[in-house]
Formats: sequence, structure tokens, C-alpha cells
Amino acid sequence: MAFALQVLMNALSLGSLYALAALGIGLLFGVLKLINFAHGDFITVGAYALIVPSAATQATLMIGDFHPLILIPCIVAVVVILALIAEFLVFRPLRSASPATLMIGSFALGFVIQNILIMIYGGRPKAVGIWSDLSLGVELMEGVEVPKLQLIIIGVTLVLMVVLVLFLTKTKYGVHMRAAAEDFRMARMLGIEANRVIMLAVAISGMLAAAVSMLFVVQTGILEFRMGVSLMLFAFIATVIGGMGSLVGAVVGGFAVGAVSILLQTFLPSEMRVFRDVFVFAIVIFILLVRPQGLVMSRASRERV
Amino acid sequence: MEPKTPLGHMVREVWPLIILSVGLLLVVAIIQSLDDRIISQSLTEGLIRLVVVIGLYIFIGNSGLISFGHIGFMMIGAYATAWQTMDPMTKDIFVPGLPGYLLANSHHWLVATIIGGLVAAIAAFISGLAMMRLSGIAASIGTFALFMSFYSLYLQWSTWTAGQSSLVGIPVTTTPWVAFWFCIVAMIGAFVYSRSKFGLALRASREDEVAAKAAGVDVTGERVISFTISAFFVGMAGGLYGHFLGLLTVDTFYLPMTFITLSMLVVGGMQSLSGAVVGTIILSLVIELLRKAEKGVDMGGTNISLPASSAEVGLGVILLLILIFRPTGFTRNAEIYWPFKPKVAVTEVTHRQS
Amino acid sequence: MLEVKDLEVRYGRLTALRGINLSIKEGEIACIVGPNGAGKSTTLLSISSVLNPTAGTITFDGQQINGTRPEDVARMGVSQVPEGRHIFTSLTVEENLQVGTATRRDKPEMKRDYERVIETFPILGERRRQSAGKLSGGEQQMLAIGRALMTSPRFMTIDEPSLGLAPKIVDRVYEVLIDLRKSRGLTLLIVEQSSERALKAADTLYVLRNGAIQLAGKASELQDGKAVHKAYFGFSDDHEGEVMI
Repeated sequence: MAFALQVLMNALSLGSLYALAALGIGLLFGVLKLINFAHGDFITVGAYALIVPSAATQATLMIGDFHPLILIPCIVAVVVILALIAEFLVFRPLRSASPATLMIGSFALGFVIQNILIMIYGGRPKAVGIWSDLSLGVELMEGVEVPKLQLIIIGVTLVLMVVLVLFLTKTKYGVHMRAAAEDFRMARMLGIEANRVIMLAVAISGMLAAAVSMLFVVQTGILEFRMGVSLMLFAFIATVIGGMGSLVGAVVGGFAVGAVSILLQTFLPSEMRVFRDVFVFAIVIFILLVRPQGLVMSRASRERV
Repeated sequence: MEPKTPLGHMVREVWPLIILSVGLLLVVAIIQSLDDRIISQSLTEGLIRLVVVIGLYIFIGNSGLISFGHIGFMMIGAYATAWQTMDPMTKDIFVPGLPGYLLANSHHWLVATIIGGLVAAIAAFISGLAMMRLSGIAASIGTFALFMSFYSLYLQWSTWTAGQSSLVGIPVTTTPWVAFWFCIVAMIGAFVYSRSKFGLALRASREDEVAAKAAGVDVTGERVISFTISAFFVGMAGGLYGHFLGLLTVDTFYLPMTFITLSMLVVGGMQSLSGAVVGTIILSLVIELLRKAEKGVDMGGTNISLPASSAEVGLGVILLLILIFRPTGFTRNAEIYWPFKPKVAVTEVTHRQS
Repeated sequence: MLEVKDLEVRYGRLTALRGINLSIKEGEIACIVGPNGAGKSTTLLSISSVLNPTAGTITFDGQQINGTRPEDVARMGVSQVPEGRHIFTSLTVEENLQVGTATRRDKPEMKRDYERVIETFPILGERRRQSAGKLSGGEQQMLAIGRALMTSPRFMTIDEPSLGLAPKIVDRVYEVLIDLRKSRGLTLLIVEQSSERALKAADTLYVLRNGAIQLAGKASELQDGKAVHKAYFGFSDDHEGEVMI
């Protein structure tokens, strides 16, 4: 029982990170029909923003040294500004292009961001200790101890999801965003400002990326210029198996991928554990063979072409 | 001028192929005549990339789906070829996990390369059966995930791939001329495929998937065929690459390689063979120049150089500019056309081919 | 109110509209009829600035429409019920109507308009919390019209309001449209394939075929139908009993 609870907490916290990343990707896909291959690099930039820009192997905290109440808005601002710059310089000029062209554009953008990071910070991984006391354990119940961080990750994810749902259903701009995600042209014909909706979606996606940055870097304690890429890959898989264009699907997919990863991690024989990601992928292929349209169907999943 | 003889017609039909082959031959001959070892190595690398890009074109150009996974097939081909050509003694040390037959025997590099391509093709066929059922964008993500999983598999599979260290002792057999002939074969393959009924059916689905399905085209099946053929060429390119470097590391086949080859295709024009060739030539030149600039230029005694990674950033920016200002690439997705025809007919021909 | 001058629209090599002219006065019901592929929807999409004409101008109250964005046209007071209705199926009925008020700030007026829409189409009130995708075809058409009304338009275009609906519901839709003109002074441009119903409702009739206006005139003067028939099909109806389609 204690063991099962431990596994459950692991699965929930990993799934939370995937779900948050998948939400950021799914939001932009909904409104822009953009598969944002730079989303992982937005996450990476949020993490690197914690330290002093230098190629030194030893990381020195900059923003990372601030009080959390200042640190969090700072990192969110950095990532949101980066996302908005991407919107102005890349996504907006490609607005009328095909989804495939947009996708390659974001791939190019991600590649540029990664290499600019190498230019500034060097290519080697760096250790950063931030909020390391969060990895201390908390006793949930008799014999079950989980790191504080896991609870925080799950809690933050829950709060962000609730806020996002409230925004999308209870506010005017949220309803506009959902309308635009389903039928962009019709939304514009009713007077919804295309640029405003898109910028809002880009900004929210950036905020979600920033949240993932902070949670992820506290968890791993390592900065690496591709750290966001693998996270993004799992988030992509989450959006595909969840059903493209469905935000509920993105969350369901995120938790499903997290759960599968943790179960494999826990139950695979130790010499097979290094192949965990390969197994995850094999399971994904199987899911897609059974349900090519994803676990959650959505009308908006039809491509814009 | 309309060709009158049957031979004339045939020449006209394969005109893009002729002009591209001759152009490439000239490029190779001129560069080889410089007799510079460094330049000649860059040339070989460029030609191998060209085989990859042509392979990419076979799938991306005809299906309209973007694949981020082909460098995975290049890696599979590279290792499968190396397993066959390495000296049995070296294999015992580096890849002791290989099955007995492979450990004990070696194949000629040409046979090995073709088999390497076939292995990649088989991998593509099996994974394609699942991937190609997905809709366009989801299929692209699928190929990306496929690539990452091949990558992590090879990275961990140390008894077959030497894992995170390098696999050394691969005979160096890929010369510029070997790579050139593979380019020619790949071009012919791509050309014949895109004119075949398979290629035509797939391109019909690229223009209008619903209509193609209604006309009885098995879109998934056609995509799988194209995916498999393209992986065959990309896999052979992997074999050539291993036998060019003389060693293999899994990390060679990662995002930068994916990015560079995909850029070449897009910059040239995704939907034409000429685009694949032109894009590879142009970007290879740009890469060479930027790499030179990274190393630095001596000007009045001081060494002025661009920071590391400038080449990559430059490539990314070029690709973005092309996507924004000329999304159909340098060739505007058209083949190099028959030059001896009145203008009106020319547009008709290019339209049919694009 | 709406002036369309020498409007030409091309899709690549295909010319969909070859220089058409429309002149619609405030408070009238204008109707465009024409066979499939005549360019009717293209005309409406150009008026909403979804399509960019290759030549010609569209002005609304003296303001130029072509060259602006669809959202600007909506702001001018032009609303459209497009072909296929395009309601937001993942939103509730209420939310669909809410999206219609995107450009507005006048809260009390918005509330009154909402009540008027519900009054006109009581079924929408009953189902306001339901997902719009669950509505029947006729209900969706009502929602699309209601949503267009929520923008508080001065000019409204409707693409094939009768398509796919039972005759009884079509009657109801037309009743509402005619009533809207009376009660709100709304100017309407209706597009239909069949000329019969359009003739009854319209003040002005345009027959569009092959991307060109074949016939334009007061509906009351075109009642005999022969000229309309000729313009519509491109030949006259002299051979009685012959099957046309």
C-alpha cells in the first residue's frame, strides 16, 4: 500500500510536468494550428534565465537568488517576452502559411535558440542548486515519504489547470479563444481580433512553459541546452495520444505518458531500465494503432489546410 | 522547339535528371581538380548529405508530410553497414553483442551498404505501418518521437553500438566519386519513383487527401511505400557516412543533422528533386563559409572570428527567411524544365511537375 | 449602403467573379440567386473581407471594405451567416451568442439583444447551456442568425438560409428575416440557389451565373419568372416538359 502510494505520487508528479508542457503546446495548436517545436526551448530559456550569463562551467545564480515572489514573475516575464518575440518575428510572418511550414519554422526557431544558448552559456551542462530544501521528504502517512517538491509540482499543476479552465470558460477572452481555436475565420468574421487572441494564447503558453522551467530545474538541478527537448517530446506524444487540439486530451495524455514512464521505471528489470523511453514509445505506437484519432476526439483536431 | 523523334521525347522526359547529373558531375570534377584534401572531404560530406536530402525528398516531396525521423534511419543504416564491414577482431572488442555470423564475417562495403539501406527500409516499413495512419501533423510528431526513440535505443545498446563512446575501426571507403555515384543512383530512384504510379498517387493525396481517397488511392499504403523507399536511400547514406568518417557515434545522428538536411530540402524547394539538389549545394556552401568564419579570418594581424555555433544560428535564420519570403524554396518547387519550348508550354510543364 | 463595383476575384488561375456590381440601399432585402459555383459565396466572403478581390471596390457607408481585415468589417456593422453556418460546436449555445458581442461594450444593450434573440428563437433559450454541436440543423441555423444579430449589425448577409432545412423551418427562418427588417431596420443580403422563395422575400434580385450578374432588378418587376429563368440557366424555358437537371 505504501509502495503503491509512492509510485502513484511519482507518476502524478511526472505526469504533471508533461501535462503542463502539453497544455502549452495544445493551446497554440488550437489557435494557430502551430506545432511549436520551440516550446521545449522556451522551457530551457526559463531555466537558464536563473543564472548569470557566462560560459563558465560553474553556474552563478542571478534571478535564481531573488526571493521567490520576485523570482517567479521574473522568469515568467522572460519566457513570455521570448514567446511574444517569437510570435512577432516568426509566427506572425508565417500566419498564412501551411501548418507544415509553420512547424518547420518553429523547428528552425528552436534550433536557433539552442545555439544562441550555446554561444552565451557554453554547451556543457551546469549544476544549479535552487530551492534544494524542497527535495527533502515529507511524511504523507506511516512509512510513506515523498519529496516536498512532488507535492508542489502536483499542487501547482492543479492550480494552473483550474485557473486555465476558469479563464477559458468564465471570461470573455477565454470564450473568444475557444471560439477562435475551433473556427478562426468565423471568429474573425464576428469581430474577434485575430492578433489579440493569438498573442494571448502565446503569452499563456509562455507562462505554462515558465512554470515547467522552474519546477523542472528544481527537480533535476541541472541546466543543459537541450533540457527542454526531451520534455517537449513527451508533451508532443501526450498531445497526439490525447487527441490533437483537445486541451483535455493534452492533460489526459500527459498523465498517461507520465504514468507509463513511472510504471516501466518501477517494474522493468534493472538492466532494461535504460530502454524505458523505447518502451514508452512502443506503447504509444500501440495506442495509435488502436486509436489513430487519439484518446479524446475533438472537432478542432481537423487540420486547417 | 518540340522534339520530333522518340529519342527527343525521352530526353525531354528525363531532362531534369540529365541536367542535374551533369551539373553535379561538373561540380565534383572541378572541386576534385583542385586536389585539396580538406575541400575534397567537405565535398564528400556534402554529397552524402545530398543522398540524405534526396531520400527526404522522396517522402516529404511526394507525400507533403514532414518527417523529423529520417536521421534515425540514417543511423540505423550507418550501424548496420559498419557491423558488416568492420574487421572481426575489432568487432569482438567494440560490439561483442553482435550475433555470431556478423562477428565472424565481413562483407564488401558495397554489399554492406545496400544491406544497410535495406535494414533501414525494413525499420521504416514496420514503423511506417503505425505512423502513416496518423493525420499530417500528428504523423510528423510521430516521426519525431520515432527518431528520439531510435536515438535513445542506440545510445543505450552498448554491446551493439558502443553506446555513448565511439565505434572505431570502420574501413574508410567513401571517396568523393563513390558518394557521387550514390547521388546519381538516388536521383534516378527519386525520379523514377515520383513518375511511377505510386508517386503519382501519393502526390494526388498531397494535393487533396479526400479526393485521392475518393478516387481509390490507398493513402496510408502509398505513404508507407514512399517512407520505406526514402529510408532505403537515407540508410545507404548512413552507411556511406560511417565509411567516410571511419568511426560512428550515436550523437552524430541527432538534431543538428536532422535540422541541416531538412533545411537543405526546404531551402531548395520541398516538392522537387531539383530543389533537393540546389538546396544542398547552396547550404553546403553557406555552412562551409560560416565554419570558416567561426575559425576566424586574419585581418591586419588580428584574428576576427564569429563565435562558436554561428554556423547553426546562421542556418536557422536563413531557413526562417526562406520560409517567410519564399516558402516554395529557391526552385519554387519546380523542376529544371526543358529549355527549348515556347514560354506558354513551359509553364504548363512546370506546373505538371511541381 | 453597400456598393460593390467591378468586383473581380480569382483563385489562382480560376476566375470566380468577373467584375460584378451590386448596390444595396439601407433597409432593403436584396437577394442573389444563382446555380452552384456561380460565385455567390465568393461575393459574400469578399464583402466580409475574408477573400481579397483582385480588382474592384466594396464600400460600406462610404468606407472601403476591401483591404481591411474581417474583424474590421464586423466592427463596421456588417455581419455574416456563412455557408455551412459555422457555429462553434464545442461552445455552449449561450457562449456562441456571447462571441457575437466581441466588438461591443454596451452591456445593457447586449443584454437586451440577447433577450430579443431568445424571444425570437425560444428553443435557443431552452438549450442555452447545451453544447451547440448537439443542436439540430434548423436550431443551428437559428443560432447562427442569432449570433449574427448579437453583433448588433446594420447590414447582414446570409448564405443559403434554407439549405438542408425542412420547408416548415425555412418558412420560419424567412418570417424572422422579414420581421428583422421591419423591427430593426436591418438591411439584408440573402443568397439562395432557388429563386422562388427569394423572389417572395426580396425587394431587389440579382441573378448570378458564371461569376457575372446576368440580371438585376426590382423583384416586383421580375415576377413572371421567364427572364429570371433565362438569366439563371443561360437559355429560356421554351421547351416545356424538358428535364433540366
